[in-house]
Order: sequence, then C-alpha cells, then structure tokens
Amino acid sequence: LEVTVPFGQPFNRRDFVRAASLVAVGLAGASGVSASERLLAVTAVTGLRDPEVPNEEIARILKELFGSRPIRSGDKSKMALDMPAVAEDGRVVPVIIESNLPMTPENYVKAVHLIVDHNPDPHLAAFHLTPALGTVSIQTRIKMKRTTWVRAILETSTGEVWADYARVNVTLNGCG
Amino acid sequence: MSSAVGDARIRLPDRIARGDAVIVNSIISHPMDTGFFRTAEGQPIPAWFIKNVVVTYGGQEIARFEWTSGISRDPVVSFMLKADKEAPLTMVWTDNKGSTFTKSVDVTFASA
Repeated sequence: LEVTVPFGQPFNRRDFVRAASLVAVGLAGASGVSASERLLAVTAVTGLRDPEVPNEEIARILKELFGSRPIRSGDKSKMALDMPAVAEDGRVVPVIIESNLPMTPENYVKAVHLIVDHNPDPHLAAFHLTPALGTVSIQTRIKMKRTTWVRAILETSTGEVWADYARVNVTLNGCG
Repeated sequence: MSSAVGDARIRLPDRIARGDAVIVNSIISHPMDTGFFRTAEGQPIPAWFIKNVVVTYGGQEIARFEWTSGISRDPVVSFMLKADKEAPLTMVWTDNKGSTFTKSVDVTFASA
C-alpha cells in the first residue's frame, strides 16, 4: 500500500493508519473535508513520521546537540538512513547514511549523529565531516540492544538540521 | 577474525582519475568490548573500544569520527572522498586505553 501525501513522501501502511486516525479525530470535531485536509497538512509539517522522544536522556542528547533548532525530516535527498527492518543479530546491524546536500566550503554537512533510542549509550557515534569528502555517504555496522528507533541527524555548516529515522526490530540483543 | 588488535586495512578503487568521487573502505581489528559482558568464569570484561578515528588526506584533516562501544566488533567504516590530489590518505584509530593504530594508503591517479 502506497499513498502519496501532499509533501511528496511515500506513505507506508503504519503512517497511513496514524494519519487516518488523526483525520478521523479531525472529522469528529469539525465537519467537512477541508478540516481533515487542514489537519493532515499540519501533521505533515510537524513530522507525522517522526518517532516520539522516548525519555529524558534522548531529550537531553537532542537538546545538547541541536538546541532549539528545528529538526526537519521527510526529505530523503537531504538525509536518508537505510537500515534493515529486522536485525536478527543485534551485534552487527548495518547502517547506511546518505545525503545529497552540498559539500562546498560555503555550505556543507559538518556532522552526522547516530542515536539509538534504547541502547545503553544512545549517542552511538558522531561523524564530523568536511567539504574535502565531496559527498555524504557513510556505512558502518552497529550494535543494538533491542527493538527501537534509530535516529540519524545531520547539521550543516549553516545551521540546518535534517533527520531520518529507522525502526529496527532486533531479535538477538547485541549489547549484553 | 584472526588478526591482531589494531591490524587495519584501507581499500580504494583500483583506478582513480583526478577529481573522482571514490569510496574508501576501512576495517580495523578490535574487540569493541562494551564493559557489559562477563567471561564464562564470571569476571567482568572491561570496556575496550575505538573512541576516535581521524582521517587525513595530504596532511589535512578531512573527517573525524567519535565512536562508542556501540560500533560493532572489528569496526568497518566507509565514506566518500573527492580525489583531487595525489597524496597519502591516513586513518588513525585511538581506543579508550590510549592505544593508537595508524594505516595509510596512497591516492594515485591512473594514467589514461
């Protein structure tokens, strides 16, 4: 099932169910299609697809890294995190991080942070980059304790913050 | 992996032309112990992991990675490089015990 939504991202079934329930709430409170369309537009802007911040530790990490800057998401050309939906061995989970953002001295991706919500040490890695790399494409392998969201969040030299998220189902605990 | 701790490899494409965007693949042998595990005899295994990787190209720092023990055993990392000069590409891995491991490869351009 794929449905195209106004901001141009493919919708998976999970998001569709969430959106549908939000729209249903909107319909209950107001009449007509326009209200539900308005609500859908709002949820798109605020990141319908974004995972909730699960606890104070993640909230603190995000605040220390990005302060009050908005963490934008939903544009795979700016930040794409590619991980398996199911990781049978949590000791070795592949990660691919890619961005098409420019890498010029005037404007470049200066850091990519990898945060695993329910790992013992959630801020797993920081990759500090320079324009000399030319392209943002990083691959590595990480450990995951259990099923959780993984956040890849980049910041540019001009202060923009872009994120992508992956929900990974972990079968075997890789952290002890 | 049977190699000794700190054994590292960096792989570049066989043929590189000036200005190419090339992929750099690296691996280093390291246990990346989290400190959460115990031996079969019940002794705790202390944390021992690569915490810092510095990449230089022609002596200039072009990337720096800060890691935790959440990176898998025998860490691999791949990244892109804009090959705009013939110069050594060097990676220095530093672990939480202060050991450093260095590997260098030369970026050279194939003559057409």
